[in-house]
Amino acid sequence: MMSVREDPRVAVGRPAATPSPSPAPRRRRTGPGWTFVGPYGALLVLFGLAPAVYGLYQAIIVTPVVGAPHYDVTGNFSAVLGDHRLWPAVRNVGLYLLVWLPVMLVVVFAVALVIDARRTRFGAFTRFVSYVPGSIAGAAAALLWLFMFSPAVSPVGALLAPAAADNGTFLSDGRMPVVLAVMGIAAGGGGWIVMLHGALTGISTEVLEAARLDGASAWQTVRRIKLPMIRDYVAFILVVSLANGFQVFVEPQVMGAAATGQISRTWSVNQLVFTYATAEANYGRAAALSVLLLVPCVVAATVVIRFTRFYRVDR
Amino acid sequence: MIARLGGAFGRNVVLAVTVVFFGLPVVWLLLAPTKTSATLAAEPLAFGSVAQVGSAWEHLLGYQDGVIGDWIVNSAVYSAASVVLVLLTAVPAGYALAVGRFRGRETLLVLTLITMIVPSAALILPLYLEMAAVGLTNTALSVILPLGFYPFGVYLVFLFTANTLPLSIVEAARVDGCSEWGILLRIFLPPARPVVVVVAFFAFVNSWNSYFLPFIMLVDVDAATLQTGLQVLAGSTGAVSGVNFTGIPIREPELALAAVVSIAPILLIFLFAQRYLAAGHTVGAEKG
Repeated sequence: MMSVREDPRVAVGRPAATPSPSPAPRRRRTGPGWTFVGPYGALLVLFGLAPAVYGLYQAIIVTPVVGAPHYDVTGNFSAVLGDHRLWPAVRNVGLYLLVWLPVMLVVVFAVALVIDARRTRFGAFTRFVSYVPGSIAGAAAALLWLFMFSPAVSPVGALLAPAAADNGTFLSDGRMPVVLAVMGIAAGGGGWIVMLHGALTGISTEVLEAARLDGASAWQTVRRIKLPMIRDYVAFILVVSLANGFQVFVEPQVMGAAATGQISRTWSVNQLVFTYATAEANYGRAAALSVLLLVPCVVAATVVIRFTRFYRVDR
Repeated sequence: MIARLGGAFGRNVVLAVTVVFFGLPVVWLLLAPTKTSATLAAEPLAFGSVAQVGSAWEHLLGYQDGVIGDWIVNSAVYSAASVVLVLLTAVPAGYALAVGRFRGRETLLVLTLITMIVPSAALILPLYLEMAAVGLTNTALSVILPLGFYPFGVYLVFLFTANTLPLSIVEAARVDGCSEWGILLRIFLPPARPVVVVVAFFAFVNSWNSYFLPFIMLVDVDAATLQTGLQVLAGSTGAVSGVNFTGIPIREPELALAAVVSIAPILLIFLFAQRYLAAGHTVGAEKG
């Protein structure tokens, strides 16, 4: 089965199952079964699996401008891959990930380590504050950051003003990767800081005490003990964030709608999917691009489940 | 420089910068509705007046005959219904996956993990096509049902059960003649109440904050949620472009107030139940 190590943060020392010493008849009781998981299983099939299958089916139906829809396995895919709007969108999302992920990793690790270095009220307060912006999601977050990047009303407007265009706007297609990266860190960073801090507090005090007695400095403790203990969170945060980043939709969509004309309506790949489905009423192409976008996400999910210790499926 | 970070001064500088970065936007947002558009620009971080909040609220209520009231009700109804659906399906499923041994159990677990990590945005367009095929688009069900599928909740219950409920207790109850549902209701649920609350919190946050799903499923403006309504509000009034030719008195303070209303329940949960939510972060992250 899955090679998922026990997560020290969630496991409460359960010894490996040993064969029962009593010579009871070895008819295994099955316990709760499909009546318990049935309703959930139905939802999983209807809203987890069926859309993927149905999307794949829609993706092979080509709707030409003139004539009847017909089956064509590659038609929609090649049309989508040849769309002149796709590659700018891919580049936009790629740039965004390139800016966002490394900066966020550095920020969340640095802040978590600093908070952990000495347990103070200020540290606990910082952790608390960092988590709060996570409550501002979706359209509200997009609006908030639209304001934060509007020189006229932003509290850091004076810093933005020199870089603003003649009409006083700061946002543009080219600046969106940085804007989204800042948003992404503000909205998601706190959750990761809380998680990393939880992992750091899980390091046994005996180990830290021993290091201190051996004369390790705070910095040496970080480098030799704490960082190695939380290193595999890097891959975890990266993969989960990558999967989400590929799908970015809400922020450029809302910002584009609210600040008319400043941001392309097909800035991200998912916006192009949406444009196919609505403005162009071409479900085949929308489904084809959705399927293409789904692939890296499923791969990322499988990688996290198979090769990290963060999820386990064994009792 | 790195060595200095170990010192109290360096530490406090890092913490202060962090607090400003994460805190400033939230403070700005909470203060913005107390000011007019003009004072907002002049003094971004000053407190205006409570009266101004009232007048901003009046303006919001005046927008399209108070459609914001519909949005609030819709958000509440969709979220409440989907949370109920999540609890009814996820709690028995997570429990049975941890305690039972049945055909397809491992497949179900792996699929749960995959659908939990794959961002929901990835499936929304095909989901829309599926809903359109059965004629459910633009109905409340098209939002409630997909939000009722919440694999993260199943995983949380599964982990909790696997970590805290000894199989011997289950076995003993069975020997005493307790039915399988009886074990769930009388043995498992009473001490599992905290994890049920956590699942309800997360499911509520997930439903209330969902944007792409209602955005694509619901066409009528009075069926919209607060999240999707916000975009309508911002887009149709030109309040953010700086050029508001519409004459509708929806400007930055009104938008900020609408945003505050839309995040209020989540903000309260984050402020007062952070301990519970943080527990979820220590068992693995959820998709965004």
